[in-house]
Amino acid sequence: MVDLATKILLDDKTRFLTTVSGVAFAVMLVIVQVGIFLGMLESASITIDRMDADLWVCAKNTPNIDFANTFPELYVHRVRSIPGVLQADNLIVWFVTVALPNGAKEAAIVYGLEDFPRWRFPWDVVSGDPADLRRGRYVFVDDSAERRFGTFEEGEYREFLGLRLKIIGRTRQARSFTTNPIAFLDYRVAQALAPLDLRRRTTYIIVKLEPGADVEAIRAEIRRRLPYNDVRTKQEWADRSRGYWVENTGLGLSMFVTVFLGCLVGVVVVAQTSYTATIEHFKEFATVKAIGGCNADIYRIIARQATISALVGFSIGAAMAHAVRPLLAGLDLKLIIHPTLVGNVFVGAVALCLGASLISFRKIAGLDPAVVFRS
Amino acid sequence: MAVLEAFRLTKSFFDGKEEVPVLKEISLHLERGEVVGLEGPSGSGKTTLLFILGCLLSPTSGRVVIEGREADPNRLPELRRTSIGLVFQHFHLFSALTALENVEYAMNIKGMGGAAARREAERILEVVEMSDRRGARPRDLSGGQKQRVAIARALVGHAAIILADEPTASIDARLAGQILELFGRLARDENRAVLIVSHDPKVRGVADRIIRMQDGQLLD
Ligand SMILES: Nc1ncnc2c1ncn2[C@@H]1O[C@H](COP(=O)(O)OP(=O)(O)OP(=O)(O)O)[C@@H](O)[C@H]1O
Ligand SMILES: [Mg+2]
Repeated sequence: MVDLATKILLDDKTRFLTTVSGVAFAVMLVIVQVGIFLGMLESASITIDRMDADLWVCAKNTPNIDFANTFPELYVHRVRSIPGVLQADNLIVWFVTVALPNGAKEAAIVYGLEDFPRWRFPWDVVSGDPADLRRGRYVFVDDSAERRFGTFEEGEYREFLGLRLKIIGRTRQARSFTTNPIAFLDYRVAQALAPLDLRRRTTYIIVKLEPGADVEAIRAEIRRRLPYNDVRTKQEWADRSRGYWVENTGLGLSMFVTVFLGCLVGVVVVAQTSYTATIEHFKEFATVKAIGGCNADIYRIIARQATISALVGFSIGAAMAHAVRPLLAGLDLKLIIHPTLVGNVFVGAVALCLGASLISFRKIAGLDPAVVFRS
Repeated sequence: MAVLEAFRLTKSFFDGKEEVPVLKEISLHLERGEVVGLEGPSGSGKTTLLFILGCLLSPTSGRVVIEGREADPNRLPELRRTSIGLVFQHFHLFSALTALENVEYAMNIKGMGGAAARREAERILEVVEMSDRRGARPRDLSGGQKQRVAIARALVGHAAIILADEPTASIDARLAGQILELFGRLARDENRAVLIVSHDPKVRGVADRIIRMQDGQLLD
């Protein structure tokens, strides 16, 4: 078969490049924007995702993991005694200010647990042994803190809410959605930081179930025993924490607008070039009709050209998005390029290019070969 | 039975509000195996008639019947594909395709694909003596060479009716003789009907009959 569509398309390289760069730009814009969005959202729930817990008991209406509220720490016993519960512990998540050596103050979030290894938490340890945290006024600090707190070394001390803690380990990836670095310390030390709020109180109970346990039954039982708390599965809690930021910060809307604009730019460029190309090749399309082709044959040519432009543009755009990932990482922006996202952008690019070529279809439908040949 | 019959064709164009009759009550028929020459002064309506017979244009009134099928406006594309081979006055080759691809593409449109289409396209190019230039694009071909590719393209697909508009206008006398001879062979050996619009006196040499046109009417 002679591929007239491709031959015509590649006959005008400049136009082809214009079309393809329009698509590539739009594709890159959408992938990068959504990727940054997903990258930011990941940190909104990363501690939930990584904690080896099946259920989370929260104070009523806690909106997200960072904005924790307190309840009596003794509640944990009521959870531990439920059959099917393998282990349940108190977890404190608390905003603190940290005094820096230069006199400035910065914010951090502390996670307080009695037994870190039992929850395989923190999940990405660079140095130090989390088991040592229970021995006193020690703290693990995340590497991301260097950006805000300046460099720090193990063995140094920092003042958390007036309490001097010795740094005995470092972690990676542990920071909140608001980019506050996370520090890990013993549960009792966490309570000592804010005695007014946290004396004999906790902010969460994390629960691990026995293998094969009935999640819903146990959840119902916890609810019965702790009617003034919320009980969420790991997934629900992660979704809620992420959803909070999407809905309450305009982040979701801003992403939607950018994606929309990206698509618009792509569609306009493709529609414009496809239309002028169609007009320019009017005689050739008339010839297709004259030698026996029907409208469908011409539609197929135009659709094929749109699809090729979409494929090439998408490939370049996706490659560019991957190429900027290290650059963005240097700016401390994490770009998550998920295969589902790439797949959706691919389908979107092809669909929009085909849609854009529809305006040329209309022109073809009224194409009368006889008129074209009068010259 | 006639492979093409036209009954009382008229065609008018509108110049603003004024109706300009170009064809007036034309009836004719073409038989398989014959070559018919169509002569007439410039502007007499030859190309217009050819387009109507070739199903590119609908007449204002009158009927065209092709291989027993009425040429209704909505059946024109199908008739063009199955029955008609057209050679245009101005070639209208695809500039992005080579000579060979131009012919092969016409076969694709008529429903033949693959290696067979390519072989057949090569064979037809040989018939018009264009094999050695099969890889050239139209912009690199002379007028006569383009004309031959255009003829080759019209020959594909066993079209029963070949309609040629000035097919020898831009080729030299020797080649014109060969092309006309080729049309004669196509009519006799392949049992096609060939209608040639031409001022070329050599057409009379191959034509079984000559139709003459003036002011949108057939003479005699
Ligand atoms: N689409 C059109 N609109 C208006 N007038 C037209 C149109 N097509 C053809 N005509 C007129 O019809 C007449 C016949 O044109 P046609 O092209 O059929 O002549 P012809 O016999 O082929 O001439 P030539 O030998 O110069 O090619 C001309 O006067 C032309 O101006
Ligand atoms: Mg003419």
